[in-house]
Amino acid sequence: MTRKHFVFWTLAPATVVLASLALVSIAGAVWFSLMNRTLRSPDYEFVGAYNYLRLLRDSRFFNALQISAIWEIVTVTGTLALAIVLAVLVHETVKSPLRRNLICFAFLAPVLLPRVAAAFIWRFLYSPSLGLLNYLAGLLGLGPIEFLADPSIALLSVAVVDIWQWGLFFTVILVKLLETLPKDPIEAAMLDNASLWQIHAYVTLPMLKAPLISLVLVKAVESLRSFDLIFVMTGGGPGKATETLDLYAYQSGINLGGRVSYASAMSILLLIVTTIAFTIIWRAGKKWAG
Amino acid sequence: MANISCSSITKAYGTHTVIEGLDLSIPDHEFVVFLGPSGCGKSTMLRMIAGLEEVTSGNVVIDGTDVTHLAPGARGVAMVFQSYALYPHMTVAENITFGVRRQGVPKPEIARRLKDVAQLLGLEPFLERRPKNLSGGQQQRVAMARAMIKTPKVFLFDEPLSNLDAKLREKLRTEIRKMHLALKTTTIFVTHDQLEAMTIADRIVLMRAGQIEQQGTPDEIFDRPATRFVADFIGSPTMNFLPASIERMGEALTAAAGPIHISLPPERFSGLKTGQQVELGLRPARMDLAPEGSANLLEGRVVLIENMGSEGQVIADVHGTEMSFVTKDFRSVRPGDRVRFAIRPEHVHVFDRASGRSLLNDGL
Repeated sequence: MTRKHFVFWTLAPATVVLASLALVSIAGAVWFSLMNRTLRSPDYEFVGAYNYLRLLRDSRFFNALQISAIWEIVTVTGTLALAIVLAVLVHETVKSPLRRNLICFAFLAPVLLPRVAAAFIWRFLYSPSLGLLNYLAGLLGLGPIEFLADPSIALLSVAVVDIWQWGLFFTVILVKLLETLPKDPIEAAMLDNASLWQIHAYVTLPMLKAPLISLVLVKAVESLRSFDLIFVMTGGGPGKATETLDLYAYQSGINLGGRVSYASAMSILLLIVTTIAFTIIWRAGKKWAG
Repeated sequence: MANISCSSITKAYGTHTVIEGLDLSIPDHEFVVFLGPSGCGKSTMLRMIAGLEEVTSGNVVIDGTDVTHLAPGARGVAMVFQSYALYPHMTVAENITFGVRRQGVPKPEIARRLKDVAQLLGLEPFLERRPKNLSGGQQQRVAMARAMIKTPKVFLFDEPLSNLDAKLREKLRTEIRKMHLALKTTTIFVTHDQLEAMTIADRIVLMRAGQIEQQGTPDEIFDRPATRFVADFIGSPTMNFLPASIERMGEALTAAAGPIHISLPPERFSGLKTGQQVELGLRPARMDLAPEGSANLLEGRVVLIENMGSEGQVIADVHGTEMSFVTKDFRSVRPGDRVRFAIRPEHVHVFDRASGRSLLNDGL
C-alpha cells in the first residue's frame, strides 16, 4: 500500500462520518430555510429568500446578534486575561513542582464539570436569597444583588461562569507553556533591568504569541457553543438581555413559534457570518504572529 | 569599569556543594578567563557574579559596592550567553536597545549609541531583521552589541563562542579581544576551551570541582603549572606523563623511569630527594627530533603521525609507553621508523605522585 493509499483509507471513515453529520444537516437546514415549515402545520411550500429578508427586518434578531457579539468579546478577552494574569502569578510565586501541579489539577476541575452542572452551581451561588455571593455582599452591606435577574448585569454574570471554567483551564495551559520557554532570554531581560511585569509583557508573552492566538481561536469557537450554559442560567432572559443567536433560533424554531424554517435561516446566516469572521481573524492572527 | 572581589563564595544546591569558600579578586580593566572542565563551577561562579544565581554564602563586590543581594539589572553588568539569548520576536535594533530603553536613556542618545555599536560590530545592514534571519555569528554579534550599548562596569561572557564553527570562533575571539583593548572594561569570560583561554586572557583562573586550581597569566599557567591537573588540562597536544624515581648523585639530579633517564636542573628542583616517587611532565611542544648523544634523549618507534599543517605530532612507542612530540620535520619520518627526540632539562615538569603538586622551587 502506498503512502497516498494509506492516508486515504485512514482518513476516509472520519471524513464520511463528518460529512454525513455536518454536510447533511447543513444541507437540510438550507433546504428548510427556503420553505415556510412550522411545527404546527404539516403543509409547507417553497418561499425562496423570504425567511432571510424577514430576518433583516427583525429587531430581535439584531438584538441577538449584538448579544452574541458582546458574549464573544467578553468571554474570549475575559478568559485570556484571567489565564494570563493567573498563569504569570502561579509561574512567579509557586516554584515547587508538586504544589504547582496540585494547583493545575485544581484549576482543571471546573472545565471537567458538565456545562449544565456548572450552570446550576452558579445559579445557587448567585441566588438573591440563598446564594453565597449575596451572603458575602450582605456582610459588606450590599445587595441583595440580582445577578441573573438584572438585565444590566445578567449577561456578565453568565460570562463569569464561562470565564471561570475556561480561564482556569487556559491558566494550566499557559503555566505549562511558560515552563517550556528557554530561560536565557528571560535572564537576559533580567540583566537588561526589566521588571517582572516587563519581562512577561515584552519577552515571555510575545514569545508565546502563536499559541496565544490558537487559544483565542479555540475559545472563540467554544464561546459560540454556550447555549446550554445560558439556557440553564437565564433562558435568554431577563427579557432578551442574554438571548444570543442560538437561543433565539431555539426559541423561535422549537419553543415558541415552532417556525423551523425561520430558525433554519437564522442558523445559516450565523454560519456564514461566523465563517467569514473567523477566516478574517485567523488570517490576521497568522500575519500578526509572523 | 570596575574591580570585582568575591570572598568566601559558597554555592550549594540542597546538600550538594558545588563551590566552597572561593576567594577571587579581579582588578579593573582585566580580561579574566574562567577555565575548567564541564561541571567545575565556572559558569555557576559567573552567574553568581551576574546575579542570576543566589550565593549560598559569601560576598560579591563590584566597584566597591556589595552586590550580593542586588537584582541582576542593578549590578551594572552585561552578559553574553552561549545561546545568544536574543529576544526572538524583536528586530536586531529592538534587541540591542531593549536594556537601555528600560534604563530610561533618552531616545536621541539611544539612537546615537545604536549607530555606534552597530557600526563597530558591522550590524548596520541587519538592524531591521529578526534573529532567526541571521547566522550564528551575526546573532552573537547582536548579543555583544546588546551588552556593549549599556556601557556596563563589567562584561560577562558565558561560553559565547561554543556554538560557532572553528573559523568564526577565531574571528569573534579576535573581535572580543579588540573590543576589550578599546573599551578596557573589566571582563570575565567562561570557557572550557584551553586554546581560547590562552589566546584571549590577561589572566586565567583554572577551576576544578568548585575550587581554583591555579590562577595566573597564560604563560605562567603553561610554563609553570601548579599541579598535574593544570599541566594535563593546558596545552595541545596534551603533556606526556611518566612515573619516575629521583636519583641525586652529587650535583647531578636525574629522574629514572625504567630505562629512561631524564636529567633535571638541580637549581629548579632543590627539594627533590633520592628515591622520591614523582611524575614527570614532558610537553610535546617542548620536545623535538634530536641527534644521537643529545641530553635527555628518548628513543622509540613511530606509531602514528598527525599532520597539523606547519608541524606534526609524532606518537612513538618508547619502551612500551606511548609518548608524543611535535616537530616541523615530521615529513621525514614514517610509522615504524625509529626516532630520537629530546627535551631540554629546564622544560621538564616534576609533580608529586601522591598529591599531584608541582615540585618546582617556589618563585620560579
